[in-house]
Amino acid sequence: MSAAAAAGVAAERVLSGPTLRAEGLVKSFGPVPALTRVDLVARPGRVTGFIGPNGAGKSTTLRILTGLARADRGTATIDGVPYVGLSSPSRVLGVVGDLAGAHPGMTARGHLQTQAALIGVAGERVEEVLEETGLSSVSRRRVRGFSTGMRQRLALATALLGRPSGLILDEPTNGLDPSGTVWLRRLLRSFADAGGTVLVSSHVLTELQQVIDDLVLVEAGRTLWSGSLSDFTGEHASLEGAYLSMIEKEMACDS
Amino acid sequence: MRQLKDAIRGEVVRLTRTRLPLWTLVAAVACGGLLTGLVALTGPENATPPMPGLDTVAGVSGVLSLLGVALFVPALIGTVAITGEYRHRTVATTFLAVPKRGRVLVAKLIAYGGLGLTYGVVLALSAVVGIYAGTSAHGIEAGLDPEAILGTTARYGGAAAIYMLLGVGIGAVARHQLLAIGITLGYFYFMENLMMILPGVNVVYPFLPGGATAALTGSTALLEMIAAEAGVSSPVAQAPLVGALLLLGYALATSALAAAVSLRRDVA
Repeated sequence: MSAAAAAGVAAERVLSGPTLRAEGLVKSFGPVPALTRVDLVARPGRVTGFIGPNGAGKSTTLRILTGLARADRGTATIDGVPYVGLSSPSRVLGVVGDLAGAHPGMTARGHLQTQAALIGVAGERVEEVLEETGLSSVSRRRVRGFSTGMRQRLALATALLGRPSGLILDEPTNGLDPSGTVWLRRLLRSFADAGGTVLVSSHVLTELQQVIDDLVLVEAGRTLWSGSLSDFTGEHASLEGAYLSMIEKEMACDS
Repeated sequence: MRQLKDAIRGEVVRLTRTRLPLWTLVAAVACGGLLTGLVALTGPENATPPMPGLDTVAGVSGVLSLLGVALFVPALIGTVAITGEYRHRTVATTFLAVPKRGRVLVAKLIAYGGLGLTYGVVLALSAVVGIYAGTSAHGIEAGLDPEAILGTTARYGGAAAIYMLLGVGIGAVARHQLLAIGITLGYFYFMENLMMILPGVNVVYPFLPGGATAALTGSTALLEMIAAEAGVSSPVAQAPLVGALLLLGYALATSALAAAVSLRRDVA
């Protein structure tokens, strides 16, 4: 895969990304509160980072945004419409949420052909995303034999099938090798530069710092901070330093 | 409407990209042709205890009634439609592509309905081949005329197709593969047999899936006995079409229950 070619995936066209918005999200799993109040906005032309400790509610928020889970209270919309209300959701939003999104007995090509048919996309697009994600040479191999990195690329290929103008990615660098990480960074940057909306959740703050414009920080199920990356880091040398400082302050307040 | 067409096409493509259709056809031939063929070639009169020969109506009907065991295969295959998605954690990818979950279920019912019909046709035709292989080997005339044999096997084939849909519905309600298999086998092998022999409860048997199946396939001797014992005349025991509609009703009812309850739950 040529990283430069892959990075040009989105830059070749002008995108009109959607605004992703969550307001006052509250969600409990039985007696356990998962979200107590999450507010989030991801705007077109920007890469928004979504960070927080384990169990802070990042994945739950993303699942509610994409219609996989229901909020007890609050709203989650894509350009003002809930995900399930979009007429062609995969053409608006590509989602990378789970490494195990493909049947292990299927080939990568078979999985993408299935997904293409489900969203009403022509078969040629399958070849394009295989090329874009560097999976062409392994497209006839069954998914059960894929490494974590290859599964991650397949999840990305699935997300790109509908030529969406927005992307939501939950820990997308998991399992990617260094060249894959650089490729993904370029893809997200060029995607946003072309007008697309990117919301990316990750624990790898050093990597995230290189690509995001805005930041939403959640802790214990509520939004602690949201705004631009430069406002967040302030006098700190890095995103990681600013993050640790804020979390420590918050824990000191809680105790 | 376009989204439903896409969803159906996607489910058909999904089926064709796995080995499930191949194994379904192998199972249909094994349950239809091999099972009836083996008994027919051995000769039912050589069984222990001996059964009427193939040159009698009872003999041919007896061998064809073995097709009853072939109905659980499509039911079990059908459960995979939804439970496989949860087991392999592909359900989130599917619901992201088609967020209206009822639409996913309808698409799967149609795709697996087609697979069930294919199973039924292959089951019926291979059973006919099995019967005539036996009569040819023994140099005898079948006790039933060809039309009656084909009609009986076709009814079993139709029942098999509906059982596939029933399996899809049960799988959608259960969501867990082992649970769905347990429900399917537990109900048909244990619960219905229990209900059939319990005094007072057995009057409803003709209206249960097992009774409806018997009506559809024409194996009504047991039902008629129950109905007579209970002092009721069961329309189900006499009308194959009513049996088919009743079975379809169970398939649709389980699917509707899944769409209203279990498929609405959060996806992890």
